[in-house]
Amino acid sequence: MTTVRMPSPPPLPLRQRAQIPSAGLSPMLDRLAGERATGVLMREGGMLYLSEGQVVYAESPATPGLDALLITRGTLDADGWREAVAQAGARQRVGRFLVDSGRIGEGALELCHLGALYDAAYFVLGPSSAPVHFRYGEAHWLGPVHPVPVAALERETVRRRELLHGIWPDPATDEAPLVRAARPAKLTVTPRQSAVLDRIDGVRTAADISRALGRPAFHTLVDVRRLAAAGVIAPSGVGGGRPSAEPAGGGTSPAPTEPTLPHADPHITLLKRLRDALEAL
Amino acid sequence: MPGIDECLLEAMRLPGARGAAVVDWTSGLALGTVGDSPGGDHERTAAEAAELARLAAEHRAFAPEGDADWSENACPVEDLIIANRDSYHLLRFVPTTFDSSVFLHLWLAREEGNLALARIRLGEMAGRLVLG
Repeated sequence: MTTVRMPSPPPLPLRQRAQIPSAGLSPMLDRLAGERATGVLMREGGMLYLSEGQVVYAESPATPGLDALLITRGTLDADGWREAVAQAGARQRVGRFLVDSGRIGEGALELCHLGALYDAAYFVLGPSSAPVHFRYGEAHWLGPVHPVPVAALERETVRRRELLHGIWPDPATDEAPLVRAARPAKLTVTPRQSAVLDRIDGVRTAADISRALGRPAFHTLVDVRRLAAAGVIAPSGVGGGRPSAEPAGGGTSPAPTEPTLPHADPHITLLKRLRDALEAL
Repeated sequence: MPGIDECLLEAMRLPGARGAAVVDWTSGLALGTVGDSPGGDHERTAAEAAELARLAAEHRAFAPEGDADWSENACPVEDLIIANRDSYHLLRFVPTTFDSSVFLHLWLAREEGNLALARIRLGEMAGRLVLG
């Protein structure tokens, strides 16, 4: 009888788990809501404008603003928007002005505004250890359109983190430039996903694609995580050459050659994705 | 040109209306709610209804125009109807000129409600909600 001694396999590299803090996103924000403060909260991921303790506007570099959402798809033209800001910006009544001048319906403005607010707040309230500031008294030029309680915003932000985590636990595709898989699995891509897929060029990130589409960034992240889970796309940094230059903004030219995943063998790709998903759990 | 709250209050005036909400089907966020919801939790109901709406919106069998855009003037799917023993759920997609994924959700008592009337009215409300 011969006994074959198997050497123990090398340990797999461990990756940091995706952190989902359950509550207390921003103690300062909770306190400001309690004292019904008015002003602007500045965090690493962007800004939240409060009026009497409720959130009236949010903005983040990671998301298209209300103006971009309305202008990109032609709901408003850029001149109409500029005129509204010029006419009513100083007295913080831009939202009211847009409705009263017949440029947009009240319901449409509320829907777009709320979508943009929750979208930006998701990134503003993202994990960060940078210092937080609050400037009292500062009002936003849009004016009140549909204020949101802080508690509702925090609940939704936590729910959104869990939603993304449930789709695909690895957050690597959220911020990295994205590439398509060389030999993707057969998959029926939805119309909204194919709009995202069409803009993946090895340089653009999910945020860049959102700006190009005039679509809330969280909506893009949902589709990006679904596509990553299906093995159709991946972050371009994975084991291969990262593009040398960071994208400068929305108008960067696409890369001339379409970069692909380093592993052309679909079986290896599948195993690697499985491993990544298990590690991220 | 009503806002979200006026639209929801109008929905509640339909005979048999138990509750209503405006929901985003990509994120599952309730943008506005009124009245009751099954189980008493509007946010949970919104997330569950959003899953249903998303399946209808994304599957070719239900949304036949494969390349149709959900934020153009006409949605490929108009509405969804769920009937159970004592109530109806009516989900009406809202077309917008900006990129969005929004629907109206009406919860209707089966005995007092009039499904045909509710479908017509909810369609009108969805149109008026985003009238530019």
